[in-house]
Amino acid sequence: MSQTVAAGATHAVHGHHEELGFWRTYIFSMDHKMIGRQFLFLGLFMLIIGGLLAMMVRWQLAWPETPVPGLSAIPEPYMYEGIIPPQTYNALFTMHATIMIFFVVMPIMVGCYGNFLIPLMIGTRDMAFPLLNMLSFWVGAVAGVIMLSSFFVVGGPAAAGWTGYATLSAKAAYTGVGMGQNLWIISLLVLGISSLMGSINYITTIVNMRAPGMTYFRMPLTVWSLFVTAILLLLALPVLTAALAMLLFDRTLGTSFFLPEGGGQPLLWQHMFWFFGHPEVYILVLPAMGVTSDLLSTFSRKPIFGYHAMAFSMIAIAFLSWIVWGHHMFISGMNPLLGTAFMMTTMVIAVPSAIKVFNWLGTLWGGNIRLTSPMLFALGFVSNFLIGGLSGIFMASTPVDIFIHDTYYIVAHFHYVVAGIIFALFAAVYYWFPKMFGRMMSEPLGKIHFALTYLFFNLTFFPMHFLGVGGHMRRIYNPTQYEFLQPLQDWNVFITISALLLGLSQVPFLINFIWSLFGGKKAERNPWQANTLEWSAPTPPPHGNFEVQPTVYRGPYEYSSPEVKEDWLPQDKPLAKGAAVRGH
Amino acid sequence: MLRWLPEDVSTYGHEIDSLFYLIYYITAATFILVTVLMVVFLVMYRERPGRRAIYSHGNTTLEIIWTIIPAAILIVLSFMSVNTWAKLKSEVPPSDFAIQVTAKQFNWDVFYPGPDGKLGTQDDIRFDNDVHVPVNKVVHIHLTASDVIHSFFIPNLRFKQDAVPGRTVTGWFEATKPGRYELPCAELCGFGHSGMKGWLHVHNAEDYAKWAAENLASKQQ
Amino acid sequence: MARNSTARRLDETAPAAPGKRLEFGGGEPPAPPVRPNRPIGSNAWLATLMFLGAEAMFFAGLIGAFIVFRVGSAIWPPPFQPRLPVGITGVNTVILVFSAVTMHAALRSVRAGATARVSRMLAVTAVLGGVFLLIQGYEWAQLIHFGLTVSSSVYGGLFYTLIGFHALHVAGALIWLALVFIQAKSGRFSKQQHTGLRICVMYWTFVVALWPILYGLVYLY
Repeated sequence: MSQTVAAGATHAVHGHHEELGFWRTYIFSMDHKMIGRQFLFLGLFMLIIGGLLAMMVRWQLAWPETPVPGLSAIPEPYMYEGIIPPQTYNALFTMHATIMIFFVVMPIMVGCYGNFLIPLMIGTRDMAFPLLNMLSFWVGAVAGVIMLSSFFVVGGPAAAGWTGYATLSAKAAYTGVGMGQNLWIISLLVLGISSLMGSINYITTIVNMRAPGMTYFRMPLTVWSLFVTAILLLLALPVLTAALAMLLFDRTLGTSFFLPEGGGQPLLWQHMFWFFGHPEVYILVLPAMGVTSDLLSTFSRKPIFGYHAMAFSMIAIAFLSWIVWGHHMFISGMNPLLGTAFMMTTMVIAVPSAIKVFNWLGTLWGGNIRLTSPMLFALGFVSNFLIGGLSGIFMASTPVDIFIHDTYYIVAHFHYVVAGIIFALFAAVYYWFPKMFGRMMSEPLGKIHFALTYLFFNLTFFPMHFLGVGGHMRRIYNPTQYEFLQPLQDWNVFITISALLLGLSQVPFLINFIWSLFGGKKAERNPWQANTLEWSAPTPPPHGNFEVQPTVYRGPYEYSSPEVKEDWLPQDKPLAKGAAVRGH
Repeated sequence: MLRWLPEDVSTYGHEIDSLFYLIYYITAATFILVTVLMVVFLVMYRERPGRRAIYSHGNTTLEIIWTIIPAAILIVLSFMSVNTWAKLKSEVPPSDFAIQVTAKQFNWDVFYPGPDGKLGTQDDIRFDNDVHVPVNKVVHIHLTASDVIHSFFIPNLRFKQDAVPGRTVTGWFEATKPGRYELPCAELCGFGHSGMKGWLHVHNAEDYAKWAAENLASKQQ
Repeated sequence: MARNSTARRLDETAPAAPGKRLEFGGGEPPAPPVRPNRPIGSNAWLATLMFLGAEAMFFAGLIGAFIVFRVGSAIWPPPFQPRLPVGITGVNTVILVFSAVTMHAALRSVRAGATARVSRMLAVTAVLGGVFLLIQGYEWAQLIHFGLTVSSSVYGGLFYTLIGFHALHVAGALIWLALVFIQAKSGRFSKQQHTGLRICVMYWTFVVALWPILYGLVYLY
C-alpha cells in the first residue's frame, strides 16, 4: 500500500500519527475502530430491512391475504395491490432469517465488536493485519449488496428458507426462483471470504499481540468469546462454502449432488448445512454471552462468578457444537440410533449453557447493582436466553421433537436465543457507544427502549410456544387454511400486534442513537468505572489507541477489591505494595 | 400452556405427551427458580450509596453442584427419551396393513395395494390427499416424495416423518379413535406449501370394511 | 505488500510518549516486572496456518460428500462411466510430490543463504507444478471426450468438483509462486528475512499433501 495522502486532504479526526484524507479515514479505513463502526452501521441498516421483512411476514399470518398498508405500489407478481402472494411470503421469511443471521448479528456482534474491542481490550494498537481487516469489511459489504440485489431480479429473492434445503433449493423449477437463489448462494460464498479474513485476523491478534501481562486468563470474557467464535467461524464456514459450491453446481452446471434423479442425496445437504449450522448458532450467541458476562460484572461492581468456568464452558460449547448437528434432522428419516447419539450430545451441550446462567446469577448475588441501560439489556439477554435454553431441552428429547419439529415451538425457541441476542447487541451499543463515538447515549431514552423492547419481545415470542404446542407449522403462508389451527388464530393476531409494537419500540433507540452521535453529552475516559483496558484509552481512542503501551497487572474483574478505595481497579493500574498479581 | 396440545388419538401419543409434560414441569421450575432469584438479587443488591459489593471470585463447590445437578437431570431425561424413541422407531410392531404415500408439490398421493395385494406395482389404487385407515390397527406407511422434501404430519397422532425424494422411510401409527384428522405438510416445499394438506379418516371396523368394499374391492376386480 | 503495517508487533518497544502518563498510572512504578507475551510465531506464519486450517475444512466437506456417495454405492464407479486413468495420474502424483521436495530445497537454500539457488529451485517447482496442471488438463479433455461430464453422473460431478477445486488451488499456488519467484529474483529474501517465501512454501506443501489423499480416494478407492 502506498502511503500517499490525497492532495488537499483536510484535517483527519483520528489521525494522530499521520494525516489521512476523507477516503482513508472514513471509507477505506484500515483502523480497526473505524472498521468496527462501519460494521455497526452495516448491521443496523440491515436490521431495519430484516425487521421490516418480519413485519410483512407477521401481517400475512395475522390477517392473511389482506393488503399490507403502504405497499400497494409494489408491482405484480411480487405483490397484488398490497396483498402478499405465497411466493413472496416464502421469499420474505427466507430473506428475513438470512439477513438477520448473516448481515445483522454476525456483522454487529462479530464484525463490529470483534474489531472494535479486541485490540482495545488486549491492549494493542490495531489488528494484526489492518489491510485484511479493511478487505474483510468491504467484501462483507459486497456480499450484502449481492444479497439485497436479489430483491430486484426476475423471480424475486431466494424462497427456500434460510436453511436452503435441497432439493427445493437445487432446482429452479421447484421454487420458481432462478437468479435470486443463485445470488443468495453467491452472497453467502462471498460473505464466507469476509468471515475467513476476519477470523484469521482476530485469532492472530489475540494470540500474538496481547499487551504485556495480558495472559490468556486475564482476558475479558468478551475477548474469550470472540476468540472461540473466530475459531468456530474459521473451521465451520468452509464446510458451508463446500456445500454452497455443490448447490450452485447443481443449479447451474447440471451436477446432481442433491438431486436423487441423478443419483444425488438430498439429506447430504442437511448434514453439511447443519455441520456448519450448529456451530453457527454458537458463533452468534457466544459473543453475546461474553458481552453479557462483562457487563454483569461491571454493573454489579463485583468480580464475575467463576471466571475459569465461564471461559472453559465456552470452550466446551465450541467443541460440543461440532457433534450435535443431527438434532436438526431427527425426523428426516435418519437411523434411529444416530438420533439417540445426537440426542445425548445435545443434552450434554445444555450443561455448559446452564453453568453460564448460574454463574451470571452468582455474579449478581452480593453485588451493588447499577441498573443502567446497558445493564438492563444484559439482564434482558440473560432472561431471554434462559427461556430459549430451557425450551431447547424439549426438542433435544427426540420423541417430543417428533411433535414440535417444524412447528412454531422451534420458531419460539430460536427467536429466544438468536433474536434474544439483540438484547446483548443493544447492551453492547449502549455500553461502548461512549468509547466509539465519544458521547453518551441518553439514559432515560435507553430505559424506555429497554422496557418497551423487553415487554413486546416477550409478548411476541412467548405465545409462539402456544402455537407450537397446538401444532402450528412454521413457514406456512395462511394458517386459516387449517381447521385444527382455527382456535389459535387469535394468538397469531396477538403476536402480530406485539411484533408491530416491538418494531415501533425501536424508534426511541433510533432517535437516541442518531441524536447522541451529534448532541450527546461528551463522554469521559471511563464513564462506567470499568476495569478493562479499552477504558484506559482516550475517548474516543486515537489512531494507535493508547498513549503508552498498557501493562496488565491483574484480571479484568477486580471490582470492589479490598486493595483500593474505589470499587473498581483497572487492569493496567499499578499498585504500590507488590500486591499486583491478584486475580487469575 | 400444554392445554393447546391437539387431542391425542394414537397408542403412543401419551408417551410423547408425558415426556413433554415432564420436561415442561422441570423447565418451568428452573425458570421460576432462576427468575425469582434474579429479581430478588436485583432488588436486594441494588445500588445504595456507601455499600460495597462482596469481593468474591466464585465458589467451586457451588459451581460443581450446579454443574452436576443439571447434568444428572439431563442424563435421566435422555434415558427416558431413548426408551420412547426406540419404541417409536426401532420396535415397529408387525402389521398386514400397509399403504404408500408419495408426496409431491403439492399433494399427498396415497396408494393402496391393487389386485395383486402388493404395494409399488402398476395396479396400485391411488387417492388424492385422503388416507383411510381402520381404528385400532397398526398402520405402516411407506413414505417417499417425488420432487422436494415434504413432511407427513398428523398432529393428533403425534406422527411426523419427512418424505425425502429418492428414499422410502417406513413409519407407523395406530389410531385409537374414529374420526377425521387433518394431515398438513410440515416441511417447506414451495409456494404451495401452505394448503398442502389432506385428511386422515379413521374408521371403525365396519365403516372401514364398507369404505374398502366401495373404493378398493370394486377396483381390485 | 503492506510492509509498513500500522500494527506494530508488541515486542517492539513502544514509541516513548514523554510527559504523558495514563490517567491511572500515577505513583510508584509497578512492583513486579510483568512478562511480555511472546508471540508464538510471526503473524504471517500463524495466519497462514489458520488459512490452511480453513482450507482443510473446505476439502473435508467435499471429501465427506465423496465418501457418503462412495460408501452408499454398491458399484463404483457407476456402470457406463469411463474409468479414470490411474497410471498416468500416478506419474503425475510423483511429479507433484517431487515439486514439494524442490520447494523445500528452496526454503533450505534461503536459510543457508544461497540466494541464487532459491530462485532456481522455485523455477523448477513452478515447472513441475505447471506440468502437473498440463497433464491434468489433458486428462480432463480425454475424459470429457469419453463422456465423463459433470452432469453425466454424481461420479462425474464429484470427480470434477474435487479434482477441479484442487487444480484451482494448484493454479493459485502457481501464481503465488510466480510472485515469490519475482521477489526472490529481486533479492527480497535473505537468510534472516524470508517470511514471504516461507508461507508460500507452507501453502505449496498443503496443496501437494492434499493430492495423494484425493488420488487415493478418487482414483483408487
